[in-house]
Amino acid sequence: MIETIYIEKKIKDHPRTISILSKFKKARHIEIDKYGEVFNKHNQNFRIQKNNPALILAYKKEGYVLPAPEGFGIGSSKNYYFSHMYNCIYDCRYCFLQGMYSSANYVVFVNFEDFDDEIKKIIQKHPEDSLTFFSGYDCDSLALEKVTGFAKHIIPFFQKHPNVDVEFRTKSIQIEPFSLIKPMDNLVIAYSLMPDLISKSLDNKTPSILKRINAMSVLASKGWKIGLRFDPLIHGKDWKDLYTKMIIMVFNSIPVSSIHSVSFGPLRFPKQMFKDIFKLYPNEPLFLGPLLQNKGIISYSNEIEQEMTFFCKELTAKYINESQIFKCSA
Amino acid sequence: MIEDITKEEKFSIRWVIALKDEAEIIIQQYRMKLLSEKSVFPIFKNSEETHWLILSGIGRHNASAATLYLYEKSKAPKWTAWINIGIAGCGVGHFGDLCLVDKIINNSDGKVSFPSAMKNSPFPRMELLTTDIPIIDYTSKKLIDMEACAFYDATSKFSSRELISIVKVISDGPSNNIKNLNRSIISKLITTNISNIIKIVLYYESLSLDEYKRLKKPEIFYKICNQWHFTVSQQHQLERVLRRIATSNIKENILNLLKDCRNSKSVMNILNKQMESYEVDWRNA
Ligand code: SF4
Repeated sequence: MIETIYIEKKIKDHPRTISILSKFKKARHIEIDKYGEVFNKHNQNFRIQKNNPALILAYKKEGYVLPAPEGFGIGSSKNYYFSHMYNCIYDCRYCFLQGMYSSANYVVFVNFEDFDDEIKKIIQKHPEDSLTFFSGYDCDSLALEKVTGFAKHIIPFFQKHPNVDVEFRTKSIQIEPFSLIKPMDNLVIAYSLMPDLISKSLDNKTPSILKRINAMSVLASKGWKIGLRFDPLIHGKDWKDLYTKMIIMVFNSIPVSSIHSVSFGPLRFPKQMFKDIFKLYPNEPLFLGPLLQNKGIISYSNEIEQEMTFFCKELTAKYINESQIFKCSA
Repeated sequence: MIEDITKEEKFSIRWVIALKDEAEIIIQQYRMKLLSEKSVFPIFKNSEETHWLILSGIGRHNASAATLYLYEKSKAPKWTAWINIGIAGCGVGHFGDLCLVDKIINNSDGKVSFPSAMKNSPFPRMELLTTDIPIIDYTSKKLIDMEACAFYDATSKFSSRELISIVKVISDGPSNNIKNLNRSIISKLITTNISNIIKIVLYYESLSLDEYKRLKKPEIFYKICNQWHFTVSQQHQLERVLRRIATSNIKENILNLLKDCRNSKSVMNILNKQMESYEVDWRNA
C-alpha cells in the first residue's frame, strides 16, 4: 500500500502521472520541485523506509540508457541498460540497491518516450554491432508493471527493432505484458533463481521460486524465450545438493528449446557498499558467509566462486549447449 | 574505558515543545520530572530516562537552540525518536484536530523540507508554514506555527527523518480567533488529544526500540575493547566480526579463545578464523 506520492510539479499533468495516481486513490499527494529533494537526502533510514516506501513520480532529464557494466552481457558485442525506475518493491538481502541509494522510496520516471528516443539513437549509431538492452538494472523490470505499464510501452518499440535484443530481468510473475502479444525472437524474459531454501531466507517479499518456475513455464508454452539467471550464487551447507535439485526442477519444468541462455553470477559487494548493507541488517545469515575482502571487493573466496560456477555450469551443460551459458561478473 | 551505553534494552524519545501549557499533560503522562532549575531551557525526564522533554519557548531560534541543548544534555543516542508537538493555526480542519506534518515551508527563506509521518496513521497529514510572526491570513490552508522548521533542521543533523515527528493541534483559524487563545485553552487542546498522542508515541517507541536492537553492539565488544587496545577502524572490524559470530551457531566461549592474545591484531586473527570457513545452514537460517 502506497500512502504517500511525491509528484514533481513539472509532470503533475502528464497523462502517465494521472494514470498512476488513479491507482492509489487513498494516497496523499505532495508536490515537489525535483525528486532529488526527497530521494537524495542524507538523513534517511533505508531500513525503516523500506517498511513504508513512498512513490516519487519524476521526470528523467538524462542518462536514459547507459552502457552495462562489464561482464553483464549474454553474448552481444555491446550491452546497455535502462531503468524507468529506481528501487524495488522486493527486498532481497543481497540487493545492491540497499547500499546504492539512501532512500528506499520508489522513483518512477514517467517520460518513457525519452527512453525510446535514446535507444533509437544508439541503434542508429551501431548498425553493424549486435546489441542487447537490459531493462531493470536499478529496479526489477516487471515488479511494478501494473502501476507503471513500462513493459507494455517499450515492448512494441522492440517489435519494430527485431535486430537488437532486449532482456527483462525479473523475479516477478507479472506475465500480462507478454500474454497479449505474439512471442518475439529478440526478447528474453530472464528470471533470477536460487534454491528455494535460500530464497526463502534472502528474497524477501518476492514470489517463491516455484511460482517463478510456473510463470516461466507458462511463458515458455506460449513461445517466449526464457533466460535463467543463477545470480548471485549463494554458498552454504549442502549447496551442491540444493543447487542440483533446483536446476533439475527448472529443466524438468521448462522445455530446453525455450531456454535462451543461462548465466551464473557471484555474490560480490564493493567494500563500502557491504559496510552500509551490513549496518542495515547486521544479523543476516547472508553475511556469515565465508566472505573475504580482496581489492576492495567483499566476496566468497576465488576457490568457492569457481567451484560453485563450475559445478552449476557442468550440471546445466547436461541440458543445454555450452554456448548458451554465461558467467556474469558485474 | 569504553562504556556500554546500550546495556539496557530501551527506546529513546525526546520532546521539544514551545510552551509549558502544551507540555504539561505529556510531562504527567510520561512521569517526567524537572531536571534542574538552573538549566538554560527547562528539561524534564522520566526515571528510566527513556523520555526527555525540553521547553523551548516560542520561535525558530529558541526551537533550534533548545533542540541542540537537549541533544547534548540528554546524550541522545542514535536510536532516539524526536517529537515536536504544539498548537498551530490553520485555514482548514477543525479546532482541536490533531494533524501530522509531512511538508514544512520556512516562510523566511522559502526552504522546503519533507519530514516523514507515522505509518498507517489515522490522523490527517498536512503542510506547515513556519513563520517568525503570528499570521492570521489562513488562505494558504496550511498549518501555521513558529518553530517546526527549526526543530526539523536541527534534528536532521543527528537523526533520520523517519525518527522525527511533527504533530500539531489546530488552535485557530478563520472561525477561531487567535486572540481568544489563553493558557487554559492551549492546555485543553493538547489534553483532549492525549490518547491520540499516546498512539503516536507508541509507534515511535517501537521504531526506536528496533533501531536500538539494530545498533546495539554485542556485550563482549566492550569487554574486548577494554582488554586490548583497538584503533577506531579496528573497532569497526571487531564489531562486525563479533556480530557475525553472534548470529552464527558458534558456541565457543570467545573470551576463552582470546585468552593468550597479546594484542588487537592477534584478537582479530583468531576471531576472523572462526568465520573464515563458516558454512551457513540455510535450513535453520
Ligand atoms: S528483485 Fe532485484 S532489484 Fe528487487 S530487491 Fe531483489 S535483487 Fe533488488
